[in-house]
Amino acid sequence: MRTIRKFEFLNARTIDEAVNTLAAYKGKAWPFAGGTDILRMMRFQPLPENLYPEVLINLKTISPSLEYIKEEDGILSIGALTKLVDIANNALVGERYSALANAANKVASPQIRNMATISGNICQLTHCLYFSKPDNRFHCLRKGGSECPAQLGDNRYCSIFGDVNGCVAVNTSDIAPALIALNARIKTNKRMVNAGEFWDVRVPGSTILDEDEIVVEIQVPRPPPDAKSVFMKFSIRSSIDFPIVNGAALIGDGVARIALNAVAPKPYRATKAEEVLKGKTIDETAAEEAAIAAVSEASPLSFNKWKISVAKAIVKRMVLNTKSR
Amino acid sequence: MSTRISFILNGSRVTVDVEPWESLLDVIRKKLGLKGTKLAFCRGACGGCGACTVIIDGRAVYSSILPAYKVDGRNVITIEGLASPEGLHPLQEAFVEAGAIQCGFCTSGMLMSAKALLDENPDPSDDEIKDALRGNLCRCTGYVKIIEAIKLASKRMRRPAGGG
Repeated sequence: MRTIRKFEFLNARTIDEAVNTLAAYKGKAWPFAGGTDILRMMRFQPLPENLYPEVLINLKTISPSLEYIKEEDGILSIGALTKLVDIANNALVGERYSALANAANKVASPQIRNMATISGNICQLTHCLYFSKPDNRFHCLRKGGSECPAQLGDNRYCSIFGDVNGCVAVNTSDIAPALIALNARIKTNKRMVNAGEFWDVRVPGSTILDEDEIVVEIQVPRPPPDAKSVFMKFSIRSSIDFPIVNGAALIGDGVARIALNAVAPKPYRATKAEEVLKGKTIDETAAEEAAIAAVSEASPLSFNKWKISVAKAIVKRMVLNTKSR
Repeated sequence: MSTRISFILNGSRVTVDVEPWESLLDVIRKKLGLKGTKLAFCRGACGGCGACTVIIDGRAVYSSILPAYKVDGRNVITIEGLASPEGLHPLQEAFVEAGAIQCGFCTSGMLMSAKALLDENPDPSDDEIKDALRGNLCRCTGYVKIIEAIKLASKRMRRPAGGG
């Protein structure tokens, strides 16, 4: 077995203490929530030497706890450290925010969902096959290198909507498209951000979070009573795997919001598809038109044209699923 | 810097010094000498095979990616905590009877996922059993016999003690 990289743990007692420590370590400290990705990173060491943390800041010790689900005045508030299993099993979330409950239930496997948190899921690193190879085998753009091996290499699972600063890796969060479709807001210790603006285009960043910033809460407005939200995921195996393409939609009551993920370096809002559906009755034709519109701006790489068909099928099925009540 | 942690392991309190980077799996196997929990092809990087599954506070988790540091004060059950001095756990008996074991490497993880399921849901449907096993891979049996074994154990465990 490989030797794991060494680090220290610090227990944060308050949000302020956590972010002050993050600031003091200037990038050499990482927040630790569910931690399902971190030990792997420390053991397989895909990053260059300068990008590892010396210290992990345990957020679970913050008081008052950031693990809760409540609905007040038409806003669902979920604490940043709420486990995915608790979101997936929550009756209220399942009933009124079904895309979010379904997305939480489709992440990885039961054991991962029992550990992983919602904030960890939305802050996961944007990655591709090359990025994740052990021992920094590919010193790609995302790690400060000078070229993207995926552009000319195995890009089967990469972006179909172009690159960001040359990087074609994708964001594989299952929660992200659900939050965008449901028009959620993400509260950090510094600001409130609309979900659509949370995932950043910078390389190597995956989110807009500053070095001394953590997610504190997710807020989701209650959807209109006659709108229905759905989530759908296509992956090689039906459990454990990251999505090849996933998506979420909120449709009905004059609203149409559709988001896809794993198709671009950040979640992709299918605004063209939303426009197509405006004022239309949902039927087979409308769903097909929306699906075509959703991928109308796709520009596939050498090996991933097939993902366009997957994305289309997902949009069409999601739209049709919002019809059946 | 090593930290002294204390937790309940299979019903008894244990105290052990752990390094921040040590996984619970490493501590259970190397420091506490319980070798029933397995490390499989993930080599500690979690490919989701489930061989390292243990139950913490009633929920199945992967011990290979969980820092031992985080289990301070919690209640951990491993495969060694399943059988009692009187004999095997009904799940273990059912696995043997149904032929749900071939090479056996996934078995301890399968049993832990199955126990977490039955503790919460004593009478699961086939789909609920499949969902509970979604984080465990078996490369030999094809799962059918494992599902049969869990159904058999569920049936026996629901029968009142001493009853026919």
